[in-house]
Amino acid sequence: MTLSMLYGEPRVITVGASVLEEALDRQAVPQTRVDWRPPLPGTSEALARVLADPRREQANATAVGRLLSARPQLVGVRPAREVLGLEPGTFFHAGPPITWERASGPMRGALIGAMLFEGLAATPEEAEGRLASGEGVALDSCHHHRTVGPMAGVVSSSMWMLEVLDAEHGGTAYCSLNEGLGKVLRYGSYGPEVVDRLRWMGEVLGPVLAATLEVTGPIDLRSLIAQALQMGDELHNRNRAATSLLLREIAAAVVEAAPGRAAEVLRFVNGNDHFFLNAGMAAAKVSADAARGVPGSSLVVAMARNGTDFGIQVSGLGDRWFTGPAGVPDGLYLGGYGPDDANPDIGDSTITETSGLGGFAMAAAPAIVRFVGGDVSDAVAATTSMYEITMAEHPAYQIPGLGFRGTPVGIDVALVARTGLLPVVNTGIAGRVAGTGQVGAGLVNPPVEAFTAALTALAAA
Amino acid sequence: MNDLVEVRAGVYHDSVSLMRVSQALTSRPEVAVAVVAMATELNVGLARDLGFELPPATPGDLLVAIRASSPAGLEEAAAELERQFAERVPAGGTSGTQAPPRTVRAAARAWDATLALVSVPGEHAFPEALDAIEAGLSVMVFSDNVPVEQEVVLKDRALARGVLVMGPDCGTAVIGGAGLGFANVLRPGPVGVVAASGTGAQQVTSLLDLAGAGVSHLIGVGGRDLSAAVGGRSTIRALRALDEDPATELIVLVSKPPAPEVARAVQELGLSTPVVPALLGPGQDDLTAATEKALRALGRDVPEWPSWPVPPGVAPGPAGHAALRGLYSGGTLCTEAALVAGTGEFTDFGDDEYTRGRPHPMIDPALRLEAISAVESGVVLLDVVLGHGSDPDPSAWLAPAIAEAGARGVAVVVALVGTDGDPQGLRAQAARLNEAGAAVFTSNAAAARHARLLLSRAGG
Amino acid sequence: MTVGTRPRARKAAPASRAPAVRHVSGAASIALREALESPRRPARVLASFPLAVYLEVRSEAEPYVIALVTGEAVRLPNAVVLAEPLDGVAPGDDGWVGDGVVEIGGLAVGARRWWDPAPPLGAADPARLPAALARLGEIRAGSPRRPGLDPAGAPAQLARGCLSGSLLDCVTAAERLIGLGPGLTPSGDDMLAGLLVTLRHLGLAAGAPRAVWLAGWLAATVTYDARTRTTPISATLLHCAARGEASPEVTGVLRGLAGPQPLEPAVNRLLRLGHTSGADMVWGMQIGLSAVLSHMESR
Repeated sequence: MTLSMLYGEPRVITVGASVLEEALDRQAVPQTRVDWRPPLPGTSEALARVLADPRREQANATAVGRLLSARPQLVGVRPAREVLGLEPGTFFHAGPPITWERASGPMRGALIGAMLFEGLAATPEEAEGRLASGEGVALDSCHHHRTVGPMAGVVSSSMWMLEVLDAEHGGTAYCSLNEGLGKVLRYGSYGPEVVDRLRWMGEVLGPVLAATLEVTGPIDLRSLIAQALQMGDELHNRNRAATSLLLREIAAAVVEAAPGRAAEVLRFVNGNDHFFLNAGMAAAKVSADAARGVPGSSLVVAMARNGTDFGIQVSGLGDRWFTGPAGVPDGLYLGGYGPDDANPDIGDSTITETSGLGGFAMAAAPAIVRFVGGDVSDAVAATTSMYEITMAEHPAYQIPGLGFRGTPVGIDVALVARTGLLPVVNTGIAGRVAGTGQVGAGLVNPPVEAFTAALTALAAA
Repeated sequence: MNDLVEVRAGVYHDSVSLMRVSQALTSRPEVAVAVVAMATELNVGLARDLGFELPPATPGDLLVAIRASSPAGLEEAAAELERQFAERVPAGGTSGTQAPPRTVRAAARAWDATLALVSVPGEHAFPEALDAIEAGLSVMVFSDNVPVEQEVVLKDRALARGVLVMGPDCGTAVIGGAGLGFANVLRPGPVGVVAASGTGAQQVTSLLDLAGAGVSHLIGVGGRDLSAAVGGRSTIRALRALDEDPATELIVLVSKPPAPEVARAVQELGLSTPVVPALLGPGQDDLTAATEKALRALGRDVPEWPSWPVPPGVAPGPAGHAALRGLYSGGTLCTEAALVAGTGEFTDFGDDEYTRGRPHPMIDPALRLEAISAVESGVVLLDVVLGHGSDPDPSAWLAPAIAEAGARGVAVVVALVGTDGDPQGLRAQAARLNEAGAAVFTSNAAAARHARLLLSRAGG
Repeated sequence: MTVGTRPRARKAAPASRAPAVRHVSGAASIALREALESPRRPARVLASFPLAVYLEVRSEAEPYVIALVTGEAVRLPNAVVLAEPLDGVAPGDDGWVGDGVVEIGGLAVGARRWWDPAPPLGAADPARLPAALARLGEIRAGSPRRPGLDPAGAPAQLARGCLSGSLLDCVTAAERLIGLGPGLTPSGDDMLAGLLVTLRHLGLAAGAPRAVWLAGWLAATVTYDARTRTTPISATLLHCAARGEASPEVTGVLRGLAGPQPLEPAVNRLLRLGHTSGADMVWGMQIGLSAVLSHMESR
């Protein structure tokens, strides 16, 4: 029953009235002041209830512990129809569930492209008509199927998927193959070059990578991501180091597995700095999924956008989505594009931030700080502020510039409400009009109401 | 009209700092009225009542509303406002580049602390206090208006973690000599104090210090701790901790009489350190008597408590209709004085109904000054509490009021609670109050008895 | 509870010709209470460092040297810890101590908190002391911090005398150790200080009256003519140690030896102090603990 504060020099954390802090100063009592602000409006009752939940502390420790201990490994590349049971006419998409009516331009464009790719329509007009009528077409969220997809994130039955296994907890997650930059399906383009590339990916890239992984065996993505962070990637808007590392891992095996196709496959991967993004997203997804379903936990296990809504899921609240309107990113624009051309935020790639990468690891990626609005000190400030709303620091993912401190991991809905600090999200920007493609990249603010709604639900749970 | 109205989103300052800014602006001759406050419903209503037209705002925004006598005056006031805010940039963390922590949780992760002091508005105190407990720190919750269910949760969690919750509504604590909240400068010594009453504890510890005994720790537990609802959770924890503390030879427990089942639980603790109760209520020892009991239990002499009587002829005895008016800043002291005097009309200006939206009377004398000047005859009995956090020079405002009261034929008796180490200077304050015509006592009970004596002399 | 605005200062405007004095406050050792509260006496700056200033007060009473230190400095048992940085004080500056303040250079220092340099240790569990002694030896041996004196000679004689309870050996060795070694606080003095507080506090805590008795005789020896035998600062610290007063770094080690508080971090913290001071004190404490153990057993 010893009370440690009674022994030794008092050292005080103060929060609140400055008169009391000044009185301690005059007594030469060492203190740290908290820069406190009121919580998000209307949340104090829900906060008190959520924080008082006797399960919370252990539940959060369990949930974030699983997120941190996941050991994602790339184990295979397989067609969606095979691994996800995806029938022609059924499409998965990024973000929370959405209907054609509410879908934004790039989401519609990607769905049109997928219809063309699957041979379910001969022309874009026909595809659009089928999608609008809903006849023989079904849409569902990728996240409902252990899957994530960047930007529009549209997955159809003939696409080949990266398969990532969590060697620690046994879960599996999937992500499509990255198409590269320029006119691509994920940004809502559906022209002939887009469909042709998807065909090549289905006929050549997918099977060659599948054969390659037979040769290499499982590739340890946890260690690859950890190395890439130390080489200047944040694994969302910069994947250059990770892509290079992956290429090194597989190059010899590609040649062994498919000597006739090796050059074109390696050239394709080498030509796309974001090739690793999709593997990183599947790794993040399988890690976050390990943390799902812990009753009482306020840990965010998914953040995703469909171009219209920004949604989150919380470990203690099952598969429910809590949404708010997707914001328009603030960033740099390509060519003659500007903010007016930008679509609201879209894609499942926020799974990287959910697992402590991307915007949360900005301080690791000085090369792209201008891209996302500032200088190195802004990047450090962005990462540092995320420690305020996260439960843990990642034991393997470390940031050299912060003295190899672990990245901030595990967003706590309650801490978001208390501090009013929203997750920092790095993102690409899609054009508003279907078929435009990428117009820029930058930072985006998630909607506050997604977090306050989740908090309210936790308080009632 | 020369109005400046502004809503600044996402800017937060605590209410005391903002009161200072408002006061600095209002004190300028060209400013008619200034409201600088967080845009809570209360403050927005206040500004509307003053005729300001306000844009929509949330309680997280800062509201600025200034009215000046001229456009130039308004400009000067606006410049002063910015200067005031520039001074109040949070001092925060230790390194220049590191942003200060935003929660107690973040602070506790980054810095090796022994306890936390929470004084945010009561509705927001729970998360910060819980952070401290979960980080393994004891916490003093100075904030009031914390729901009792939250108090119970905090205290149960603290018990499980082996730490202590002092409060909520804990006004005073002295841990290892460090005064938290309102506290006197105490020398280290053998007496540990557990207190559910702030000013009661200040009276007891000040007397112990004056007697040369000194205090090991003063642990506040909050006014509700000994109620049936809270069940003495922190009191029991604090008593056990002091029982183990080698520096504590005797414990004084300062409280209103506890709920019977709680009293039993405390008695059945089986402590090896003697406990002297100072339980204020009818038929109980007053705080001074309890302190004297503690001193005798330690084998120390009970001194004559310092007092400064009115020299004959300096001020007249009470004339005319003789009634006793008690004007207190400390609730427990007020109750004690009313019990000892057995007559008179007593007001506790520290009560919630007088402190809502304004500073505590231990800091702001305005309400009590008004009340003193309204007394036309008889005896005024009041308390002045010195120490950290209190008014830096109470005799500066009180002495003139005492002299004026004397001129009206009103006798003034002051209970002066403080120690020789207090920043205000006990003896200097006493001398000035006494010169103005007040009888001054370091024992509140003695002051109340003296007031009663004056009344009986006047035949009242 | 609501707190609010302080009224503005209502004091009369200061006289215009008064020199600028910076009023600062701090936390003072209770050992200084008498010096601070007596009528004021002249004082002079003996030495001045960025984190500490030493004042000599013209007084027969101890402590006659007062340390003004910042929060980062070692908190000596005769220290006032200031809430603000120390500046504007130079060796040779004259000032005053008393009537509640230390006035020196441009500073007027008042105490707003009192701390105890000799907090009671409580009862120590005699069963755990031998293990604590062994651990203390290991930590010393494993540390790169070494004492400033050759173990042969006076230190060996002191250790022998303490173990056997030979007053003659103890007193002779102590006589030789006072002021021995270089620096502001010579190694011999630091060692004696560590020994004195250990004998007194642990002797009391573990029920070894013979150790406390030894502490009394040693205290009388070292304080008798300390002022003429060593530096003023060291002499004052010996007087403090003779009364059982020490810095919190030393108290931390005593608590680690006597009770459940962790020993190793406390010892390492003390070892790091000064050039050799910390290591000298730990050595003295080790000798003290051996003596306490031997006198417990010989009862």
